[in-house]
Amino acid sequence: MTTTHTVRVVLDEELATLNRAVGVLRRRNVPVERFSVNPSGTTGLARLEFVLRVDAATADRVVQQFHKIIGVRDVVLATTDEGEASR
Amino acid sequence: MGEMLTGAQIVCRTLVDAGVDVIFGYPGGAIMPFYHALPEYPQLRHVLVRHEQAAAHAADGYARASGRVGVCVATSGPGATNLVTGLAAAHMDSSPVVAITGQVARAMIGRDAFQETDVIGITLPVTKQSYLVQDVAELSAVVADALAVAQAGRPGPVVIDLPKDVQNQKAEYRAPEHPRAGARGQLQTPDASPGSVEEAARLIAEAQRPLMMVGHGVILAQAYDEVRTLAEKTGMPVITTLLGISAFPEGHPLHLGMPGMHGEVHVNRAIQHADVIVGIGLRFDDRVTGNIAAFAPRARIIHVDLDRSEIGRNVRVAVGLVGDAREVTRRLVDAVVPRSCEHWVSEICGFHRPSRPAAPQELTPDAILDAIHDASDGRCTIVTDVGQHQMWVAKLYPYRRPNTHITSGGLGAMGFAVPAAMGVHLARPTETVWAISGDGGFQMNMAEIATMIQERLTVKMAVFNNGYLGMVRQWQQFFHGKRYSCTPIFSPDYVKLADAYGIPGWRVRTPSELTDVVARANAEPGPVLVEFVIAQEANVFPMIPPGGSLSEPIETAPTPAGD
Repeated sequence: MTTTHTVRVVLDEELATLNRAVGVLRRRNVPVERFSVNPSGTTGLARLEFVLRVDAATADRVVQQFHKIIGVRDVVLATTDEGEASR
Repeated sequence: MGEMLTGAQIVCRTLVDAGVDVIFGYPGGAIMPFYHALPEYPQLRHVLVRHEQAAAHAADGYARASGRVGVCVATSGPGATNLVTGLAAAHMDSSPVVAITGQVARAMIGRDAFQETDVIGITLPVTKQSYLVQDVAELSAVVADALAVAQAGRPGPVVIDLPKDVQNQKAEYRAPEHPRAGARGQLQTPDASPGSVEEAARLIAEAQRPLMMVGHGVILAQAYDEVRTLAEKTGMPVITTLLGISAFPEGHPLHLGMPGMHGEVHVNRAIQHADVIVGIGLRFDDRVTGNIAAFAPRARIIHVDLDRSEIGRNVRVAVGLVGDAREVTRRLVDAVVPRSCEHWVSEICGFHRPSRPAAPQELTPDAILDAIHDASDGRCTIVTDVGQHQMWVAKLYPYRRPNTHITSGGLGAMGFAVPAAMGVHLARPTETVWAISGDGGFQMNMAEIATMIQERLTVKMAVFNNGYLGMVRQWQQFFHGKRYSCTPIFSPDYVKLADAYGIPGWRVRTPSELTDVVARANAEPGPVLVEFVIAQEANVFPMIPPGGSLSEPIETAPTPAGD
């Protein structure tokens, strides 16, 4: 079942890390509804947030792939219909 | 105040301090400062290849055989793009490789300068990490990070893109703090929970038809003893995937063989009948599973993998155990109760199909591989290319020692064997190394014969010559109405080719010549080339058609329409 998932990522404030993060989404051709990068409040770290409309298994796979990126410090998946759950 | 070094010297010094002793590469404009510094570091042996693709495959072969990071070097632009196939092969097969590429000076980046390419961009999907070095002060830390990241956890390739002016800049050399904070999280090894291990042990105890499937992760973790102990304590038969071959001794009473597209009938049937599968260090890729919906329909799967994202990625998993294959298997050994699976093993024996005897005068892959094995009593490493010969070796060669089978599995890169075998030789200089290729793949990188001679690398090269791109021809025969479109392939006279390079060469046409030629090939102190002329339309049987179920093997060639 397709649901709205919000993925919040804290990652190193480097273009190469951001590029790798985008690559995970591009390679899997995941439909992204919103995508934003903002300061995290901590020097050297950025906050990336994006919204996916996919099934739960796909969202989980995306999160697992994000955990593998060097420079990603934290990944939180929030599913709109089922409430927020930290991973 | 530390020593002032150029960026190029810092790279060399950091590599030396990390224990790197071999690098494979090819010089060019943007990497010239590195090559200028290199003679000051004689601890770094440089192997000059004939094409950068070979440098990456050789570094990969070195890494797989040694368990250490393989390093390759290329210039910017075409040098770097030529590395890409090798990096992709290392990425797919989880091999720790660090590639150092020259880049145009920082002021020129983005201006389409001569030999400029966006190497970081091009290699992004086929690398584990990449660095564009902007500041010489960071260089030693970047090189140390790259070496650590390549090898940590699930290994993979890392690119360091090095602008020419950064190579020339001077900075104080400081031994790198290691690892830096950014990489620390991903360098930690996860540990499976005790509850999951107990649950897995319970499933194994309750199973009627349990199986083990072991992959490359067992070789990477050197979990040979643990896997064997688990098999023997439980009586579970063991299947080895293409990259898991030699992780478990062939000839062991519990060893079944290779699964999947070219797996033996009894191996695939065992999977389809199993009620529990313990998969260790494999990713259940499509060549192993066939039609995923029909794969192991009765089995509950226990999946052990270092990479959490692999658990449940391709198959339904009952218990996922994330961690190092050696550590998790050791804990499984402690947790399982001793049992046997005699009824199940004899049931699998009933699935066995007798092999068809060959005509006595026919030079078959079986006979060739027997001769190569017997000539060194199995004390050699076999590196294969991609295609029919690769499957014959995987199915027929009796591996007894761990990690003595090296091949390009995931990417399936033709041209891999010859350069990768050069790397294997440098990792295992006292061991005989055979590079076995088809006539197609061999011609892709046969220029590396010159590298072997110049660098004194001893590789025994075997070419299985059937005059076709054999695996594609087989698919054309089975699935494309026998239209052999663009698969007949011309070869040079390999004996004359060997002669042109000044190395011994032989052509073998009959089984009676085999023992003598292979013995002479092994006895030669340097590289040799042996052409084995095999039947033009020899096929690899059995075969699961692409997308088919493991229950539906093709065991004979299709009869042409009208016969």
